[in-house]
Amino acid sequence: MSLFVIVALPFLGALLPGLMYGAGRKACAGVTLAVTLTALVGLLSRLPEMWRGETLYARVEWLPALGLNVELWLDPLGFFFALLILGIGALIIMYGRHYLSRDDHMGEFFTYLLLFQGAMVGIVLSDNILLLLIFWELTSLSSFLLIGYWKHLPEGRQGARMALTVTGMGGLAMIGGALILGDIAGSYRISDILQAREAIQASPLYTPALILILLGCFTKSAQFPFHFWLPHAMAAPTPVSAYLHSATMVKAGIFLMARLWPALSGTPEWFYLVTGAGLITMVLGAVIALFKHDLKALLAFSTVSHLGLITMLLGTGTAFGVLTAVFHILNHATFKAALFMSAGIVDHEAHTRDIRRLGGLRHLMPVTATIAIIAALSMAGIPLMNGFISKEMMLKEALSTELYGPYWLVPALATFGALFSAAYSFRFIGHTFLGPKRDDYPAHPHDPNPGMWLPPAFLAALVIGIGILPFAVEPFVKFVTGAVLGNVAEVPTYHLAIWHGVNVPLMMSAVAVVGGLILLALHRPFQAGWDAAPRPEAKTIFEAVIAGALSLARVLTGAFHDGAFTRYAAILALTIVAAAGHAWMTGQTAQPMAMGEWPGFAPSAGWVMLVAAAGALVMFHHNRLIALILMGIVGTMVSVGFAFFSAPDLAMTQISVEVVTIILMLLALNFLPDFTPKESTAMQRVFDGGVAVLGGLGAGLLAYHLLTGSAIAPPISGYHLENSYLGGGGTNVVNVILVDFRGFDTFGEIIVLGIAALVIYALTETLLFGPVRARLLNRTPDKPLSGDRHPLMMVVMTRVIMPLALMVGIYIFLRGHNEPGGGFIAGLVVAVAVVMQYMASGFAWASARQRYPYHGIIGSGVLVAGLTGIGAWFTGTEFLTSSFGYVKLPGLEAFEVASALFFDVGVFLAVVGAVMLSLESFSRLARRADMPDSEYPMDIDPSRDTRTEGGA
Amino acid sequence: MIQSDLAVILPEIVIAVYAMLALIGAVYTAKDGLASLLVWTTAGLFTLVALWIATSGSTTTEAFGGMFINDGFARFSKVMILISAAAVLVMSQEYMARRGILRFEYPILIALSAVGMMMMVSAGDLMSLYMGLELQSLALYVVASLRRDSAISTEAGLKYFVLGALSSGLLLYGASLTYGFAGTTLFSGIIEAAGEGQASLGLLFGLVFMAAGLAFKVSAVPFHMWTPDVYEGSPTPVTAFFATAPKVAAMAMFARLMFEAFGGVVGDWQQVVAMLSVLSMFLGAVAAIGQTNIKRLMAYSSIAHMGYALMGLAAGTQFGVQALLIYMAIYVTMNVGTFAFILSMERDGQPVTDIASLNMFSKVEPGRALAMLVLLFSLAGVPPLVGFFGKLYVLRAAYEGGLAWLAIAGVIASVIGAFYYLRIVFFMYFGEERDDTLDAGTSPVLYGFLSLSAIAMVVGVINLFGIEGAAAAAAATLVP
Repeated sequence: MSLFVIVALPFLGALLPGLMYGAGRKACAGVTLAVTLTALVGLLSRLPEMWRGETLYARVEWLPALGLNVELWLDPLGFFFALLILGIGALIIMYGRHYLSRDDHMGEFFTYLLLFQGAMVGIVLSDNILLLLIFWELTSLSSFLLIGYWKHLPEGRQGARMALTVTGMGGLAMIGGALILGDIAGSYRISDILQAREAIQASPLYTPALILILLGCFTKSAQFPFHFWLPHAMAAPTPVSAYLHSATMVKAGIFLMARLWPALSGTPEWFYLVTGAGLITMVLGAVIALFKHDLKALLAFSTVSHLGLITMLLGTGTAFGVLTAVFHILNHATFKAALFMSAGIVDHEAHTRDIRRLGGLRHLMPVTATIAIIAALSMAGIPLMNGFISKEMMLKEALSTELYGPYWLVPALATFGALFSAAYSFRFIGHTFLGPKRDDYPAHPHDPNPGMWLPPAFLAALVIGIGILPFAVEPFVKFVTGAVLGNVAEVPTYHLAIWHGVNVPLMMSAVAVVGGLILLALHRPFQAGWDAAPRPEAKTIFEAVIAGALSLARVLTGAFHDGAFTRYAAILALTIVAAAGHAWMTGQTAQPMAMGEWPGFAPSAGWVMLVAAAGALVMFHHNRLIALILMGIVGTMVSVGFAFFSAPDLAMTQISVEVVTIILMLLALNFLPDFTPKESTAMQRVFDGGVAVLGGLGAGLLAYHLLTGSAIAPPISGYHLENSYLGGGGTNVVNVILVDFRGFDTFGEIIVLGIAALVIYALTETLLFGPVRARLLNRTPDKPLSGDRHPLMMVVMTRVIMPLALMVGIYIFLRGHNEPGGGFIAGLVVAVAVVMQYMASGFAWASARQRYPYHGIIGSGVLVAGLTGIGAWFTGTEFLTSSFGYVKLPGLEAFEVASALFFDVGVFLAVVGAVMLSLESFSRLARRADMPDSEYPMDIDPSRDTRTEGGA
Repeated sequence: MIQSDLAVILPEIVIAVYAMLALIGAVYTAKDGLASLLVWTTAGLFTLVALWIATSGSTTTEAFGGMFINDGFARFSKVMILISAAAVLVMSQEYMARRGILRFEYPILIALSAVGMMMMVSAGDLMSLYMGLELQSLALYVVASLRRDSAISTEAGLKYFVLGALSSGLLLYGASLTYGFAGTTLFSGIIEAAGEGQASLGLLFGLVFMAAGLAFKVSAVPFHMWTPDVYEGSPTPVTAFFATAPKVAAMAMFARLMFEAFGGVVGDWQQVVAMLSVLSMFLGAVAAIGQTNIKRLMAYSSIAHMGYALMGLAAGTQFGVQALLIYMAIYVTMNVGTFAFILSMERDGQPVTDIASLNMFSKVEPGRALAMLVLLFSLAGVPPLVGFFGKLYVLRAAYEGGLAWLAIAGVIASVIGAFYYLRIVFFMYFGEERDDTLDAGTSPVLYGFLSLSAIAMVVGVINLFGIEGAAAAAAATLVP
């Protein structure tokens, strides 16, 4: 049968139990069994070829770019594991069919079981390490579903959670290891990786790769320090425990270590990590197992211990160690599966697994007792059972292993582990089956029907068969060992036999068995001592680790994400400074082309004022009025700075924008409290100040460096200076740029400006009909209102200034094309002139004298500008191409008229309209606030009073 | 001349014109009454335009003197953007309508931001890049605070806006430095000025500042601070949108800028991007553990995922870009499904975002719980689900790009990150029995998207829906 079919069969078959559910429980189990047996037969059909020494390959491309292909191979090692998986799988299915109660959903159970089986077969037959990884995690996933099958048990939940967290994370860690191995070997095919031993072990990435791979193996095979999850996963139904936690899933880690043995083993890292972990696990598991009362927990820790044993053997890196490991894998699978199934039968019949409530079952269920005793004796390492032979070999290997110094450490620990192993096996036998019959079982135990005891009985027969006739399996074990070693010639010539004469291992074994019996006899006081002794409970540690991670995460999150904007801004600023520092450190710095010069006294004083005002602004910003004044100072100094750097246009624009914005903000201030609340502590402010200084210094230094360095490209200003008069007809380059060269930009900008003003209008409009309105109406001003709200002096003054200001505006507008000025500045100046009227005489008075709606002024501005642009079409040029000429009017000298002038009119109108519309919007808020507003320009007007009196 | 330019950006023009017409139409007619209809038409238009772009041949054309590039890379990203935006729109319709927050501006703003995003991924010039970016961002600022009467929503919008403006400023500063030292804003000119090997200091500053600005848009650590707040504060459909299309657009734009403008000096930005990547992966993984709100959790999850995607970029190779594109496509698909689930989380008709409310959800609705389980496993990158392939791609890309440490760090981060995804699975399957579990879902649309996405995670294993080849072709147009 093709390898593809063998792997695919369980997956495809997984559909069947679900579909067959309606046909009844028997059909469900039957079809599952049929699928498994078919795959098994298919596997066996390939045995002859393999026995001849061929390795079978099968390959289909999947995602070649990733190096991920469906590549399977069948070598003795894969065959061995596949045999275990399918063979024990078939037994488990027979057993499970009788074990599950009528209420359990058979179809679901068998579907998960087949999924799991397929994934396991996939792992052992994969020839692609990425494919292996996929199957690997698929086993985690399907085992999670299987363990969680009995959802109603709270322990089941906990167990599933730990199992998946630990094994799932381990599997993810393996991805890294697999990538590194594949990269070093130049191929993700396992058969290629195995050839690349030298390259892999010489690579500097060997250690990380090894650690990542071992993380996956150790978590899966429950090796120290990840041994804690396995016993807690035992809450699952017994068939699942028997299958997953004895024969298959937990052996996946062992399998991978064996599979990669030729590539990874033999280094000190491998030796210390693998042997060390194995040894610790073996002893620890055995000791804990003795003190467990739950039959399955006892078996679970015994599994942990035996897995440790196998791991230790693989870690030694010798051929004999591998031989022993392979043999013990086989033996452990047989006796442990039988034991789990027996424990399941006990649970099923006696309705308890608590060893303290059991005993004397030998009288009630002789068949089960016989099976269990045979298997347990094998676990204890009693002669004539298969466990004995592999244990002897293990002790022999331990004798020649030296770890962490003293030569006696490993043998002593191995004997110690074997001693406890014997003890718990005897306890399992003695406290469950031997002893007097009790009368307080929760149910009436009796032997179940043959369907349930036949599968373990078959395994028990194997236990004895191998135990008595070990040479029968010797060729097979050596065959597999050869595959693990990657070289048949290296297989040791050792013979599997019951009797090797009286030697050191036998004596160690005897010590272990006798010690085990003594330990069992003294079990009661030891148990009391164990119960009283404080010991770390792995589950609590796991939960503490999780809780710790949780609180660490919360602390971290709290520190970075406390919701405070200042914190975010500080992180942002610091990072940027750091990034800039990184750029500075790594970049090539050229020598500065020019040096900064002392700018002279007055500019320095101006700079000091600027800095002082900015600093004071930070200090006093809680008082809004002072903040505004300081902002005004900053703005003014910036304008002066522009003037100093020979940019009069910018300076004029800046100063007029300053005036308008400050006035608008003054208006807004009217609706705000005088002070902003203090929200930060002094420490925070000092820190924030530090961040600000750092950012400012960084920006300043960068600017200094860039200004003193040389730019690559010539500045664009030369072009504009040359072409300003020729092309645009004006000598004020800034203005020509605005209205001509970049006319399209300006056209867009005035539209944006207009939209902004309209948005302000729309927003205030919405506000006035919202809940804000009531707040405005009920507002009490912070300060008493002045009695003289429209001071006479100011009113008179503004009235006088008005025409002058307008005249200045027109002047600035007209000169703009050749001298500093232009529509934008003129618009602002005119707006200021009008704003003054509002301020001095009140909104009502000013609004009453307003002829044209500001919306219209904005619109007309945009229209004028647009029409000017369209005008260019009539001269056959493109939109917004300017033209100019000279006009001679009678009585005047010839003067230049450029189409840009009309465009500038549009700009002028739009600016005036936009500023005034925003202002008006604010004023509407004020009027809604129900401030008494007089229609008169002045509060005090003697003549008005006399007139009124006169009229009356 | 201009006609041929316009022909290149016709898809963008179609959507832009549609958005403006829809705006005017809705304002002067039934306003919010038209909202549902507009959602459907917008989604339909997106799908049509996506199909149009997908089938529009494989040539590379430029418009406006190279400012706008229509190549395979842009088309691949645009299809992703449009399809995911359409999916999110369709998912949000019922949710928003039932809660009275479905305004007609919503689909229009989404359409405008989609135009911005399409512009971003096609930008061949710093100016068109910035224009696209701002069009997208401005629309998003508004949608983030769509629920105007909710303090948390408006706060989220405001934070996003201020930080976004800061980052835009930074980007502009970088762009102007670049212009100053390259003498041009065209990518094709910058790459010549930057030369091979190492860029001059001025360009390096420009590069670093622009990278910082872009990192904000992809919410990479440490420019991610807005993400959890905005994800939590925005209405859930908007969060779903934030998590999908804009991320694709920003990531694609990041890649294009790095390769087309600074492709000669890979070494200069590789370390920066790798640093962003590793920080994002770890912070995303660690901070998500402590979350109790699933929207915040998804925020950290998306930060971590952006870290992985950046890993592909950091590789600095064509394979890296291919990995990035595949990763983003998978990420978007997963997120659409996950948010379909989150949108359907409700109790007594009220939306719930508390993770604890998922306890024993598998009993309430086994089907939806199973779909979510698949998605969560996929998000965690557990094989054999599709999410794993995305991770595998970027890890390999990073490894082969000479960043083995980054790949190993990525693996470790994914191990940490798996924890919180799996935690939700436990709540759903093995949690405590509680009185206040969720209601069964009612919306067939959401259920449909959820199951489609989950099925895609399983079936996609076969050949990733052929996206591999398309991504390779797209990457080849960006990195020759």
